Amino acid sequence: MAAETLLLTLIDKICVIMVAAYLITRTRRFSEVLDGRLTRENQGALILVFGGFSIFGTVSGVEIFGVIANVRDLGPMIGGLVGGPVVGLGAGLIGGVHRYLLGGFTGPACSLATVLAGFLGGAVYLLNRRRFVGVGGAVVFSVFAVSLHMLLVLLISQPYDEAVMVVRETAVPMIASNAFGMLVFAFMISNLIKERKTASERDEYLDELEKKRMELLIAREIQESFLPETVPEVLGFDLAAKSIPAKEVGGDFYDFIPVSEGKIGLVIADVSGKSVPAALFMVLARAILRATATGDPGPSEAARRANDLIAADAKSGMFVTLFYGILDPGSRTLRYVNAGHNPPAVLDGETGEIALLRTGGIAMGVMEGADMEEREVVLGEEDTVLFYTDGVIEATGGGPDQFGIERLVSLIRENDHLPAADLVEKIAAEVVAFGGDRPQFDDITLMALKGRGAG
Amino acid sequence: MIVLPAGRLDAPSSEELKADMEGLIGEGWRKIVANMEEVDYISSSGLRVMLSTLKKLRSLGGDLKLASLRPYVRETFEIAGFTQLFKIYDGEEEAAGDFRRGG
Repeated sequence: MAAETLLLTLIDKICVIMVAAYLITRTRRFSEVLDGRLTRENQGALILVFGGFSIFGTVSGVEIFGVIANVRDLGPMIGGLVGGPVVGLGAGLIGGVHRYLLGGFTGPACSLATVLAGFLGGAVYLLNRRRFVGVGGAVVFSVFAVSLHMLLVLLISQPYDEAVMVVRETAVPMIASNAFGMLVFAFMISNLIKERKTASERDEYLDELEKKRMELLIAREIQESFLPETVPEVLGFDLAAKSIPAKEVGGDFYDFIPVSEGKIGLVIADVSGKSVPAALFMVLARAILRATATGDPGPSEAARRANDLIAADAKSGMFVTLFYGILDPGSRTLRYVNAGHNPPAVLDGETGEIALLRTGGIAMGVMEGADMEEREVVLGEEDTVLFYTDGVIEATGGGPDQFGIERLVSLIRENDHLPAADLVEKIAAEVVAFGGDRPQFDDITLMALKGRGAG
Repeated sequence: MIVLPAGRLDAPSSEELKADMEGLIGEGWRKIVANMEEVDYISSSGLRVMLSTLKKLRSLGGDLKLASLRPYVRETFEIAGFTQLFKIYDGEEEAAGDFRRGG
């Protein structure tokens, strides 16, 4: 055979091997086997495919310098390396029996070698803890297995002299062509394994993201479901509230508690922490204060008892800053305690002066037995009280500045003519606008109480 | 032991501070001064870390003292009422000195 023709024939066979390798490794069953799912069906399918490939190896043998080099052992070896001893042996038997039936004086040795190659591939798979051995390992194994094939021919085939001749002529091309075929296959298989690993890591990452997203959703839902749906009517006053939760909710809440006939408890609070833990702590704090406030024991007493209960329940470091006031529309007084919350601002409609409602109290849940001082403010018809959380004054925009109390105070002054609902909307819009494109990192909660009736 | 947190103590950086503080307590430190002169902002997450560190140290017979608070940070502590809970000093020397006197 001329060198050129030989080269073309070789390229032809190599192409067939590559296409076969590609097609076989991309099947569903092959992927499943790579994942370790060695069901009977999968094993059976691989036995047939690699047994068939073994027969193809026999019949497509390339004649090189007068002898035939074949890749019959290749299919069973790969079958064993990826699918274990059963697949290797099964494919080896198909290729081996086919070879045996073709006869010839090397028939028994060659067919036995093919069966053995498949079985040994399976043994390597087991030794490598049921995993594919990798490109290098597979190529080395193929060299070893084909060498063993040659040895068997020498040991079994008679007459011995002819066997020696056959081995001398075919050993090198046989070992080289099988090693090359194995290289092609092993390369594709290890690529496939890598791809699948990347895909499963990506899936894991996406799962994690999805979990996080669900957590955010749940936290938001808990928080929103415990905010009042409507604002109560208070005779002679105009009341409104609004809360815009951050993407990762921060546990802000407000509440209206009907403490006794005609009197209403106003609550605005901020739980430390974020997401689900903050939302649950918010539910706890809200329920406790509702319970202690019922029957109107006065803001100080209700807050003191609530603090003791929350402190007993608070895991290390959890706390809630809370402003609680009882509005008596008859006397136009607001009696309040401020447990570490941002002080609400009262705008005196006549003088334009701003007062901050502080009592020096400590955040709830921090210190059991903490004293809760109570104060009182009388609200004139022109007065406005604005309650807010730190998400309002600590909002940041493009610059280094925070929204700040000064901005808030001037907004209250400028928009004093607005009804309570419009005032909270206006301020909320300003805070959001101040944040610009930056994601809102804390809840924004506002409540406005105006001294004149809504009408 | 004197620690020197810096910058903004918001949710992410508070997590780091929390890990650092827990590390120090794990190493056996019981008397810690936090020099806050480089902290220009503290969020409620930051307050929470300070509070949990304080609680942990006091339960172990130690303390966390604060020194050199900037006005804004001091105000945040004041609003939350935390100035009643923490011992606050003008400088770290005074805080450390108080520890030495057994305070």
